Amino acid sequence: MVTYNKIILRSILLASYIGVVALIIFGISSVFAYLNTGADRSTLLHTEVKKIDQYLPKVIWEPLNNEGRVMDMQTLNAIEKDYLSALYLKHIAYKNNITIGLDDYYTESARENLYRTIATNNAERIVIEATTLAHHPKLDFFSEDGQLAVITDKNVIEYKRIYKNNVLVFETTEEATYKIVVLLEDGFWRIRHIVAQDIHEHIEKTIETPKINTTIKGINYYPKDTPWDMYTSNFDEHIIAKDFEIIKNAGLNTIRLFVPYKTFGKANLIPEKLEKLQCVLDIAEANKLNVVLTLFDFYGDYSVLNWTLNQRYAETIVSRFKNHKAIYAWDIKNEPDLDFNSRGKTMVIAWLKQMLILIKTIDNNHPVTIGWSSAEAAPILKNYVDFVSFHYYKDIANLATTFNTLKQTITDKPIVISEFGLSSYKGLWNPFGNSPTTQANYHKNVQKILKKNNIPFLSWTLYDYKNIPRAVVGKLPWKRHKQKHYGFIDTDGVKKPSFQFITN
Amino acid sequence: MKAKFIHITLICHLLSITAIAQIGLNPNAITILNTKNDFTAGDTIALRFTLPKGTKPNLYCTNSYGSTLISPSIKNQTLVYTLPKHISNKSGSIYWKLISHETSLSGQFNIRSKPNVASIETYIGPPSVQAGQNDYTMAVVIPTDTLDNPLNTNTKVTVKHQFLDTVVNATVINNNIIAYSNITSKQKSGRILISSEVLGKNSKEFTVDVLPSLPTNFTIGYNQNHSYADGNQITTFFTSTLKDRYGNTVIDGTYVTFFVRNKAGAVLKTFGTTINGVAKSEMLHPSNPESWTVKAFVNGMAESNTITLNYKEAIKTFNVHFSKNNRTITVGPLKSFMKQLIPDGLQVVAFVYKHNTLVHKYNGASKQGLVTFNLKKDLIKNDTYNIKIQVAGLEKTFNAKILW
Repeated sequence: MVTYNKIILRSILLASYIGVVALIIFGISSVFAYLNTGADRSTLLHTEVKKIDQYLPKVIWEPLNNEGRVMDMQTLNAIEKDYLSALYLKHIAYKNNITIGLDDYYTESARENLYRTIATNNAERIVIEATTLAHHPKLDFFSEDGQLAVITDKNVIEYKRIYKNNVLVFETTEEATYKIVVLLEDGFWRIRHIVAQDIHEHIEKTIETPKINTTIKGINYYPKDTPWDMYTSNFDEHIIAKDFEIIKNAGLNTIRLFVPYKTFGKANLIPEKLEKLQCVLDIAEANKLNVVLTLFDFYGDYSVLNWTLNQRYAETIVSRFKNHKAIYAWDIKNEPDLDFNSRGKTMVIAWLKQMLILIKTIDNNHPVTIGWSSAEAAPILKNYVDFVSFHYYKDIANLATTFNTLKQTITDKPIVISEFGLSSYKGLWNPFGNSPTTQANYHKNVQKILKKNNIPFLSWTLYDYKNIPRAVVGKLPWKRHKQKHYGFIDTDGVKKPSFQFITN
Repeated sequence: MKAKFIHITLICHLLSITAIAQIGLNPNAITILNTKNDFTAGDTIALRFTLPKGTKPNLYCTNSYGSTLISPSIKNQTLVYTLPKHISNKSGSIYWKLISHETSLSGQFNIRSKPNVASIETYIGPPSVQAGQNDYTMAVVIPTDTLDNPLNTNTKVTVKHQFLDTVVNATVINNNIIAYSNITSKQKSGRILISSEVLGKNSKEFTVDVLPSLPTNFTIGYNQNHSYADGNQITTFFTSTLKDRYGNTVIDGTYVTFFVRNKAGAVLKTFGTTINGVAKSEMLHPSNPESWTVKAFVNGMAESNTITLNYKEAIKTFNVHFSKNNRTITVGPLKSFMKQLIPDGLQVVAFVYKHNTLVHKYNGASKQGLVTFNLKKDLIKNDTYNIKIQVAGLEKTFNAKILW
């Protein structure tokens, strides 16, 4: 017994000894490792590639004709990159009244000017959300040693929202011209001086509305098995070709398609995705279908600092497809009025307005619209859209009245109902839902009203869907199941009774 | 005609009365009272407006660096907005707007920098230029006032520089915030001192080095102890003083390559860098009689004349002794030009042939005038061989040597 205890005691002693030694070694090694870490000396040179596109306003350089040294493209790009970073950090600084990062892009004397403004704004509880949308820089001077440059940034379009005590007091779009001196310091082109030459309110040029053919008889389209997920690996042009033929043979002439913002790669559009979209448009053209292309699907962040990224996305798509024969119109955003509560009405409207202006400057041949979720929201920005479109899922008894009331507000522009429909879901989650026959009756009656009032329409939707991504209607099963049964054709590809009332 | 004129005047009067009445009807109408549109940085800038009955709006104001809101104060029945110092101290354009639903009042004015200079930032580069009046350096001057505003366009800036006996003052005009002047290099190498003056205030002194220009063609020579090909002594090559076309000695460290071509056409290279314009480089004497042609280059810039060196044979003849079943070959004693034993390290080669086929080659270096080769049995079997010995370009052949 005694020996037994002794063995236990010895092993405990031994184990604790080993443990203590291990701990000491671990401690020493940790200290040693800590002392050996530190900034890599190469970081001094700022050679590492860390380019994330955060801020991409439109920058159009004037042809180079500067005094001093001949400029090379690499240096000019470096200057532009650092200048935009300087602006981006300035916007962040004024938005949060912080000074982080400014020291990288403003020289010691120049940053003082920003610090003072930030200090005043912070004390007065003033917050400024701003972005610049367009720059037209001209290189005035580049020093012989390549360390100093003077730029005149002309006609900078700058949008600002000014808040005091967390309340928006003012929004403004200005056009300004600045003279800027930048110095190459520590590998950064830092701003040394900014002198505004001219700042005034920006007045948009009015762009004429293109001619609009309003004989729209159409439908919203997603493939049966890949709703809201059309351009991923499931993309199948044969299915789309077949579906478009069904649509054409049903007597329709227009389809409404959606381009998801994130899936397409945000500001840096993924070429393969654009190819797929091209393919879809080609099929539509082959079937003589007009396409209303809804941009910014699955995008709900309207924050000012992201505008430049949003605009590059829209610009890329619109400029690529503006000459495609299938394109009928650009629908900026699907149901943006649903984001009014979460994102702020003024913010959403400001975003839409800038986007409308941008798209109209790129493509003046195709009309633009916004797919409002209700007739009540439809008059918003009516002076900026080329035709008004809204969605109608309410009682059809009021459809004609709603349309005609809206027509009194919007007298000079066509109005399109770009979504309407009825779910034929009846089941566990909604035992008193509508049957396919009720749905057919609904469409029969709607088509009568549409025909009588000569209303251009796009119905929701061609197919019933088996699966619906959560992002569309959320997790709730009664909502999901309802959304699955709006189609004119069921999940097995069989035409539902409503199909005969797909058009008038 | 006169009646018509009276009519028109009456109508005009009526119209103006209506207009005044309309202003009078709206008690919230605000009008600006300032008339001045041009300020100097550092001035106290206050915008004055008529006092409205209703709410007192804030004023939005933006300048080169940022934007802010200004709350009003009321003085003598006028609305006064005093611009904060951080805005009124900075030169450039200012845009303001009254944030009021009733009136849309906005405007723009300009703040000029102070008419004095507090600091003269001077950026000079490149820091060294090449002599010869082709290359130049640039002095960029950014004069600023006490509030760190760049001075107004068209301010005169004098850029001064001194070189040897000359002092040059160049007056340039401030444009695009900066003023710049190019300073061309001179024919002589040396230092240019540069400074600038703005509105009576002077900058500190800056230095730019004028470095000699590209070297021109030069000559080379050589030094040696004797001209025997003993494979032991060293020949030193040297250049004349390398100068640019203005007579400046090229900078130390100019790289000179000496190309040596031997009788067989092979190229040997040796390098040297200049000190005070002279580059030196060395080469070991060959061990065979040789004729070398030597030419030196500064790559892509200059070249020298060609010189020829002849190396005489150091060894006239040599003895070979076979021993130990002919398996030990002793060459030597090798004697140099004064019959002295050749210094250690001379290369001796022995070739062992069987019917004109090389069986093995032995390399040896002389030690105290002797070289010994041991032909081992495992490499050279017992047989009859032809053996050839080469020393300093001489050779001896021994045919049908039996090894056992």
